[in-house]
Amino acid sequence: MRSQRTLQWLVGGPPFLFLVVFFLLPALIMLVASFRYPGDFGGLAPLVASQPGEEAGLTAESYAVFLSDWVYAEIFAKSFGVAALTTFVCLVMAYPVALLIARSPKRNRDLMVLLVVLPFASNFLVRVYAWMIILGPFELLFSRFAVIVGMVYVHLPFMILPLYTNLEKHDPALLDAAQDLGANAWRRFWRVTFPLSLPGVFSGAALVFIPVLGMFAIPEILGGKDDWIVGNMIKESFLGTRDWPFGSMLSLMLTLAVLAVAGGTSWLAARGMKGT
Amino acid sequence: MTRRLALGVEALGIAVLFASFLASGGKYVLAGAAFALVGAAGLLGALGGRRELPNFWLWYASLLVYAFLYIPLLIVVIFSFNDSKLNAEWVGFTTSWYGKLFADEAMLQAAVNSILIACVAAAIATVLGTMAGIAMHRFRPRILPLLVFTPVAMPEILLGVSLLIFFLNAAQPVLGRLGIEFTLGLGTVVIAHVTFCIGFVAIIVRARLAGMDESVFEAARDLGASPWQTFRLVTLPLIMPGVLAGALMAFTLSIDDFVITFFTSGVGTRTLPLEIYTMIKVAVTPEVNAISALLMALTLALIVLASRLAPDLMRAKAE
Amino acid sequence: MKRAAFAAVIALAAGAAFAGPQDVLRMFNWNNYMTEQTVARFERRCGCRLAQDYYSDNEEMLAKLAAGAAGYDLLVPTGNAVEALTKSGQLRPLDRAKIGNLANVKPQFLDTWFDPGNQYSVPYAYSLTILGYNVQKMRELGLPTDTWAVIFEPQYLEKVRGKVTVLDSQRELFAAALKYLGYSANEADEAKLKQARDLILRAKPYWAAFNAASYFKELTVGNIWLAHGYSNDFFTAQQDAAKAGRRFAVAYTTPKEGAVFALDNLVMHKSGKRPDLALQFIAFWLEGEPSAELTNTIGAGNPNRAAMPLIDPAIAANEAIFPSTEKFSRLEMLRDYDRRTRRRLNRLWVEIKVR
Repeated sequence: MRSQRTLQWLVGGPPFLFLVVFFLLPALIMLVASFRYPGDFGGLAPLVASQPGEEAGLTAESYAVFLSDWVYAEIFAKSFGVAALTTFVCLVMAYPVALLIARSPKRNRDLMVLLVVLPFASNFLVRVYAWMIILGPFELLFSRFAVIVGMVYVHLPFMILPLYTNLEKHDPALLDAAQDLGANAWRRFWRVTFPLSLPGVFSGAALVFIPVLGMFAIPEILGGKDDWIVGNMIKESFLGTRDWPFGSMLSLMLTLAVLAVAGGTSWLAARGMKGT
Repeated sequence: MTRRLALGVEALGIAVLFASFLASGGKYVLAGAAFALVGAAGLLGALGGRRELPNFWLWYASLLVYAFLYIPLLIVVIFSFNDSKLNAEWVGFTTSWYGKLFADEAMLQAAVNSILIACVAAAIATVLGTMAGIAMHRFRPRILPLLVFTPVAMPEILLGVSLLIFFLNAAQPVLGRLGIEFTLGLGTVVIAHVTFCIGFVAIIVRARLAGMDESVFEAARDLGASPWQTFRLVTLPLIMPGVLAGALMAFTLSIDDFVITFFTSGVGTRTLPLEIYTMIKVAVTPEVNAISALLMALTLALIVLASRLAPDLMRAKAE
Repeated sequence: MKRAAFAAVIALAAGAAFAGPQDVLRMFNWNNYMTEQTVARFERRCGCRLAQDYYSDNEEMLAKLAAGAAGYDLLVPTGNAVEALTKSGQLRPLDRAKIGNLANVKPQFLDTWFDPGNQYSVPYAYSLTILGYNVQKMRELGLPTDTWAVIFEPQYLEKVRGKVTVLDSQRELFAAALKYLGYSANEADEAKLKQARDLILRAKPYWAAFNAASYFKELTVGNIWLAHGYSNDFFTAQQDAAKAGRRFAVAYTTPKEGAVFALDNLVMHKSGKRPDLALQFIAFWLEGEPSAELTNTIGAGNPNRAAMPLIDPAIAANEAIFPSTEKFSRLEMLRDYDRRTRRRLNRLWVEIKVR
């Protein structure tokens, strides 16, 4: 038993410590920041008032503003919609590629994976600008369509790679068995391959859905006047109005919402898995 | 025969679509022709014999997806030869931007920084992320998953700002009292990148472990292998494709990261995305396309080199 | 063997990343706000290296400084940012004896509201936020080009639906709306701000996008016919359109109701390590030739009298870059709001973006 514990600390310890210092601590600082007043010229107001009448200390003002208005809920809903659509399109586009790579002879697979990843060795912004060139003449620029295309484009390999690593491990014998039992290609896919690939699907979905919510560059560059999402709002808070408490509060709200969705989905997934 | 022909027609359709972006007139006609060709390919494929090319529809769809991935890329490369400062439309051919690039010390320095940071950050993140993935799969701890996945869930801007405040208001004074001068620089950027990359690697490694047959590990244990031996001879080879995929992902994320790097880089620490983003206000000249094209070529060369020098790593050992 | 080669490459790269000459003047500047010739000339004169980091927005610069980034000798903030910096005690006062000829600066740019007596700052260059447009299209559609009405009034907007962009900046867009309504661009009264918001929301359906970065590109190509933006950007767009031989020309004018005018200044940051080099640079800039180079290259407004003879006559005659005294009186610099008004404005901005 003791060796089990030491093993756990040996293997899990280093990442744990690293993240506590470089993630948890800063996050706690952020949490405190959301309860502070914004500084007069940006940043944060001091915790202890150095002059009488100066606003300092803790306050729940940011949260009060957020909860008192429907408009923020609207933005969150819109952002989740964009993220969900992007995730779905990514899944539909990624699946054939992941499946093809997984089923190809081993010597070809590395090349095909490389071909998927290579575009992402070039700069993100330059690729988005390339989409401006492509969509401009077709008058599709500055629209929701352009934003989705941009988001899908940037996140596609994040869906392909986890799916592929999962699909590669599938036992072909299962599919043969299904075929012998009379299932056609579609049924074989839907009843055997897809359910088995669900962990990969969820990994990929997590890697697409979440970053999309925090993105601001793509809506800024490709989006029209109605394509403002949470990421833009947060960026505006930090880099526009310099209202750090508000920006921190928004970020925390977003994180909570995402964790809720993630928790909900994995709970559903666990239940679904029990059924198979 | 018919199905291979169908794929060929599809490829032709994609090429025509691509050409229509570059053509200055008749764009819509060409685009229409392209879509017609792709549709025709689909039809041919549907009618084709069942014996040729068993995964025809997979090939068909994958070709479209690969085209989707690569057409903007080709545009990036082709427009790096565009004789226009604003680079919004094709004007003329010139190689002057490459010349300007090699004289642009700042840009080159930024590129070197980016690559350096990406390599180091990816290496550290892969090691820590793999450990985390294994630990989470094997021991099912309660706190570690939260710590590992929340950085992935948080908007990057939050991570960036919180780390900046941490470095400057906590790390710097504490280390200063110990006599160590600590400032923002390449090191802080690496730390920041590792923080958000660990989660990605861990997800991939854990997904891979989840799809595996537990009996292999049990067998190894029954045969008397120590945990380290089990890891080295059984686990690691089995998860290697996942580890490599994670490493590749971490490298990609790092080399392209803007938001977190923006907040955690110090005076004089430029990376390529930072350099490019600050050009947005004025003009993203074709010089930027040029360096993107070169970076792609470099990454390709590095990966090919790696696969030549260490071919075993690229194939899963458990065959 | 392979490992050694790998290590060598890393070492080389690391060396390249960390090496550098000792005499370095570190400057935090707007992107493309100094020509290469200027940099080269200064480096030759001082025998040092000029290392620039860039930002594309005052807010970016202030955000980084607010979080404690240090080491810059010179910054180039706009007026309201100078105020923020002086009030938070981040600037070093200028050594009058060493900064050179302050008398070279046109008097209207000295002794400003944000730095009375020029204790901390010296004017660098300026730009205006105005209207840029496709000359042929505006003429064809019979639209006025010298008033903000053309981006706010539905009767005009109808004709250019989907071909107009406005700046993606809270202060700039509200300033344009407030100016059009006849108020000050620094109006903080909630009722008037709400009026501006309503004006904006009424016009929004006709706009294509809120865009602060690539609007002039789209203008040059012809995808956009009318834009709310900066004079420097329109200058570049005009040149590029001419060079590419387009069938239309790009022009820009300052609306008659007035506009925002941004004066950028050289200031010395407290944490800079080479104040001597910084002062040398300020003296160098005040001579006039360097700023003239900048004006000729990007069309930046020039506050320096000594530079005027060196500027391209076509640019010097351009009213949008060098406004007449009469027009100048209707220009306003933006002042920072207090934090309550900032939050209020942010709330209105969110509404504008969402509704």
